Amino acid sequence: MRMTDMQDDLDDLLASAARRPAVPSEALMERVLADALALQPQAPALRPVAAPRLGLLARLAAIFGGAPALAGLGTAAVFGLVLGYYSPATLDYLVGSSADAAEFFPGTDLLTTEG
Amino acid sequence: MTMAFDAQGEISDEALMVLYASGDRHAALALTRRVTPRVLAYAARLLSGDRAEAEDVAQETMLRLWKVAPVWRQGETKVTTWAYRVATNLCIDRQRARGRRRQTALDEAPEVADATPGAEGRLIAAGRMAALEAALADLPDRQRQAVVLRHLEGMTNPEIAAIMEIGVEAVESLTARGKRALSAILAGRKEALGYEDDGYAG
Repeated sequence: MRMTDMQDDLDDLLASAARRPAVPSEALMERVLADALALQPQAPALRPVAAPRLGLLARLAAIFGGAPALAGLGTAAVFGLVLGYYSPATLDYLVGSSADAAEFFPGTDLLTTEG
Repeated sequence: MTMAFDAQGEISDEALMVLYASGDRHAALALTRRVTPRVLAYAARLLSGDRAEAEDVAQETMLRLWKVAPVWRQGETKVTTWAYRVATNLCIDRQRARGRRRQTALDEAPEVADATPGAEGRLIAAGRMAALEAALADLPDRQRQAVVLRHLEGMTNPEIAAIMEIGVEAVESLTARGKRALSAILAGRKEALGYEDDGYAG
């Protein structure tokens, strides 16, 4: 086989492989996010602490229609829904937040990603 | 003045790092979603498809990103450059710790059992990917890094130079040598498996 043929084949092969990246599992994304939140410096409190709230899982369930709607889903699947359906207001409600980027950059959709 | 917005009008990774360090949980999610997939894909390619190891490397890389955030200085390094550099070194450490496994992906390719249309094409494609993975595994570390960064991750030579902490000319040399070595390995394997006239398209 000529060297140029082999190079063309290799270029095709590399181009094909470049279009097939490994995709992270939801479980990995959750672990990374959990690490991020666990290690994150706490923002200074700008609001008084709210009244006692439901546990995190119950609050997540409420967003998606309550416990009956999520019957059968494990905790990991519920967190997966959060990652997929996230909105700034939702995350505020879930994890508590004070000043956030949306206030400094009004109109910016922070969660648009390249996918 | 450091640009807070990138070319697409979105908040830059670097600005997100500063926001993350100031307690902004939106930034934690945004950085997770932006950076993790890239690091995972890259690690899987360097580690010849070892998914479990690649996930460990990705999580460890991101862990180090969270830890460096409080001292992150904008304008010095791109977040992706830093993350790719860390992932590269973690992959090398893992491979050295376990010894270099010879890739037997070609020997383990499934037999053709399905006669439905398209099945043969899919198997041929899968075999080609496995062959590439095996050939990449046979390259010296630095050549594999350069070829993966250039031709699979789509990085420019200056970006690769920053990640690998070498000059641009060294990147070009490694990439060229790596590709020549890949061609030779793949040609050798093709002859052994009788692929000379399979006529597959790209």
